[in-house]
Amino acid sequence: MTQATFTGVLDLAAGAFLLAAVLIVWRRELRAMVRMLAWQGAALATIPLAVGIYQADAALIIVGVIVLLLRAVVLPLLLARAVGTEDHERRESTPLVNTTTSLLITAVLTVLAYAVTRPIIALDPSPATRAVPAAFAVILIAVFIMVSRRRALSQAVGFMMLDNGIAATAFLITSGVPLIVELGASLDVLFAVLVLGLLTGHMRRTFGDTDLDQLRELRD
Amino acid sequence: MTTTIDASPAAPALGEGPRAARRSIDGPALSGGLTAILGAIGLTLGLSVIFGEPRQLRIGWLLPLVGVRLDLDPLGGVFVAATGAVAIAVGIYAVGYARREHWARFPLVTLPLFVAAMLLVPAAGSVTTFLLAWELMAATSLILVLSEHRRKEVRCAGVFYAIMTQLGFVFILIALVVLSATGGGDAFTTIAANVDNLTPGPRNAIFLLTVLGFGSKAGLLPLHAWLPKAHPEAPSPVSALMSAAMVNMGIYGIIRIDLQLLGPGPHWWGLTLMIFGAVSAVFGVLQASVSTDLKQLLAYSTTENMGLITLALGAAALLTSSGAPTVAAIALTAALLHLLSHAAFKTLGFLAAGSVLAATGLRDLDKLGGLARRMPVTTVMFGIAALGASGLPLGAGFVSEWLLLQSLIHAPHDSITLVALAMPLSVGAVALTTGLGIAAMVKAFGVGFLARPRSAAAEAAREAPKSMLAGMTLAAAACVIFAVAPALLSPALQRVLAVLPTVGGDSAGPQIDTILRLPGVAGSMSPALLAAALAIAVLLAFVLARWGGRHRPPVMVTPLWASGADSLSPRMQYTATSFAEPLQRVFDDILRPDTNVEVTHFAESQYLVERVSYRTLMVDPVEQRFYTPVVRAVTIWAQLVRRAHTGSVHLYLAYGAAGLLIVLLVAR
Repeated sequence: MTQATFTGVLDLAAGAFLLAAVLIVWRRELRAMVRMLAWQGAALATIPLAVGIYQADAALIIVGVIVLLLRAVVLPLLLARAVGTEDHERRESTPLVNTTTSLLITAVLTVLAYAVTRPIIALDPSPATRAVPAAFAVILIAVFIMVSRRRALSQAVGFMMLDNGIAATAFLITSGVPLIVELGASLDVLFAVLVLGLLTGHMRRTFGDTDLDQLRELRD
Repeated sequence: MTTTIDASPAAPALGEGPRAARRSIDGPALSGGLTAILGAIGLTLGLSVIFGEPRQLRIGWLLPLVGVRLDLDPLGGVFVAATGAVAIAVGIYAVGYARREHWARFPLVTLPLFVAAMLLVPAAGSVTTFLLAWELMAATSLILVLSEHRRKEVRCAGVFYAIMTQLGFVFILIALVVLSATGGGDAFTTIAANVDNLTPGPRNAIFLLTVLGFGSKAGLLPLHAWLPKAHPEAPSPVSALMSAAMVNMGIYGIIRIDLQLLGPGPHWWGLTLMIFGAVSAVFGVLQASVSTDLKQLLAYSTTENMGLITLALGAAALLTSSGAPTVAAIALTAALLHLLSHAAFKTLGFLAAGSVLAATGLRDLDKLGGLARRMPVTTVMFGIAALGASGLPLGAGFVSEWLLLQSLIHAPHDSITLVALAMPLSVGAVALTTGLGIAAMVKAFGVGFLARPRSAAAEAAREAPKSMLAGMTLAAAACVIFAVAPALLSPALQRVLAVLPTVGGDSAGPQIDTILRLPGVAGSMSPALLAAALAIAVLLAFVLARWGGRHRPPVMVTPLWASGADSLSPRMQYTATSFAEPLQRVFDDILRPDTNVEVTHFAESQYLVERVSYRTLMVDPVEQRFYTPVVRAVTIWAQLVRRAHTGSVHLYLAYGAAGLLIVLLVAR
């Protein structure tokens, strides 16, 4: 892989990564959100794979394959199954922030991400670090999704996106996370998704709904 | 049997297999056995280190960055051995106790873990390992305190304990972080090598913080308040472990960090320890003597004994710094010996109280009584423990308290005014403590076990099962050794003293043989000869009484004189409250009991009394004065903070997001 191809692949992956996040903000259908998340996972996996092939680092390629399996296949499948169990909850209910405003806020967050990551790029300007703002923007957008969505499952999607963003930032800044760290982080996310699925079921049984605002009742 | 009894009739085919298998495992036997085995390992390891070479163990991968580092030297060895010995007795006892009380699986699993954590604390060779083991110990003990969490008092005690122990941990954490930062390393050996470079500022700060933090674990004033709450509410084997082994870790911390690593310090270090110790001892024993709850009494007695030990340590430090290492070595021996004997008699005390509690469901001394007939073995056991705690000859605590008094009396009076003033005052404090301690223990034994039962539950008491008796017998044997043959411990104590040169440990300590001799000081005593003399005297009196009894007229049976009343009822007996009433009156200003006497007269004549009701509530005055304002302030602050907590998850997430953005923008 030449330098130019590497840069191109990396930029493309980062772009797709950010685009998936914006699409998730735009869509309200839970199933579509999960599908977008799978695409985002694939884009994320491309980063370590590309770096691994470019630097001929076998460990990094293994990490990439694991990330691909977990974030593009396993976790979206788990979430999709959770979506499938609830018929009347295919869609996000009345949003706290409407779609247009959400997209505008997303744009602001992206600009902000580019602004705050300038010192990081200035430290070591390379193709990988130049893509950091995109990953960072995804983190901010994910936090925004978690703040603005009502359904427990959209929270799960937001959480996964947050973790995707963190993983992407780590890959881009350090150009190669140790296998053990990546495995630990992935295991964490897997557990989190399983727990979130359980909690969603509990909520539905208790409140007949998975609207997070219902949790207000738990306050004494 | 673990509580796996599942009442739901659903899915019998699915659940039958594993459930049947689970039932066949004897939870209490497994848990108690494991605890005893861990204890035996601790005891052997401790002894092998005391008499052999120090042992080291490094596990690099277990903790990130620094790894786990275990260094066991004779000082740590004596604490490991003491903890192990307590754990053996408690483990055997717990088999019967857990079976009788139907312990759930959670405390059964946690009990051996707690012992393991306690064994790790004195073995830790670095700050990180020490803090890790300390927290493990705190967390597992909290779980055990909460074993009976369905009762409200237990939950209240648990919260209290959790907050106090974490508060103490914060002090220790800050102190040890400063110590390892200024000492140039994480390992205790590195710190010991660089400790001379420490300036007095951080040195004094570390001393004060660690004394507060470790003092809270040892139950010293003013951070003692968790002890009389958590110990009574915990299951009795756990109370025994906490009161006989865990509080020792506070003393270990003070010895290891303040006296060995940082010492020798200025005069006021020793004086501070002495003041903390004396105040705790007097206050603890006062509270114990007016307490009517058997386990609370024992808990306050723990504060008293830890106070005495701290007083002895302080005296040793002060005497070393004022140039009297020989007397300091006596004080240090007294501290170590009292620590060990306290572990023995307090284990026995709590275990005996536990069998009373298991047999009657009562801790209130005013409702007990008459147990000597119904539970003879337990009564004898508690008698041995009470004798030990009262510091009388032939009791486990006698030798050490005698040594302590000797060291205080024989301190050189001419050298420094401070010493000349502090020592006689300490003698007074120790004497008052011992005297009141006897009153407290006589009350606990006399009212709780002798006379006639004061309630139906006490009347229906049955003797404890065999394993509980076996556990108590072990602890009683240890008590007897401390009382009669402390010479057996002498070689071990010599080895431990040798590693504590900063508190006079390297000078010739007292010779503990059949006759105790104090070098350079006129004073000797022989517990074994005392015991022999007493045995001969008792035998002589018995023979003489039998011999004289032959000439007496035959025994007549007549009704008992009941001061003109119909008959004597158990309600007319001395109770714990009435026994302690004179003391309560004398120390009214300190104890500040909440007493209420209501006299109801007959309607016909106000000279005739129909009913007198007496209500008294003992509250910990320190707790009331110092803790209540703090708790109130925290509550007000929490109410303010609570306004921001609306219960909306989205708002909470938004707080987090806003925080993140602010940090990002500020940090740019």
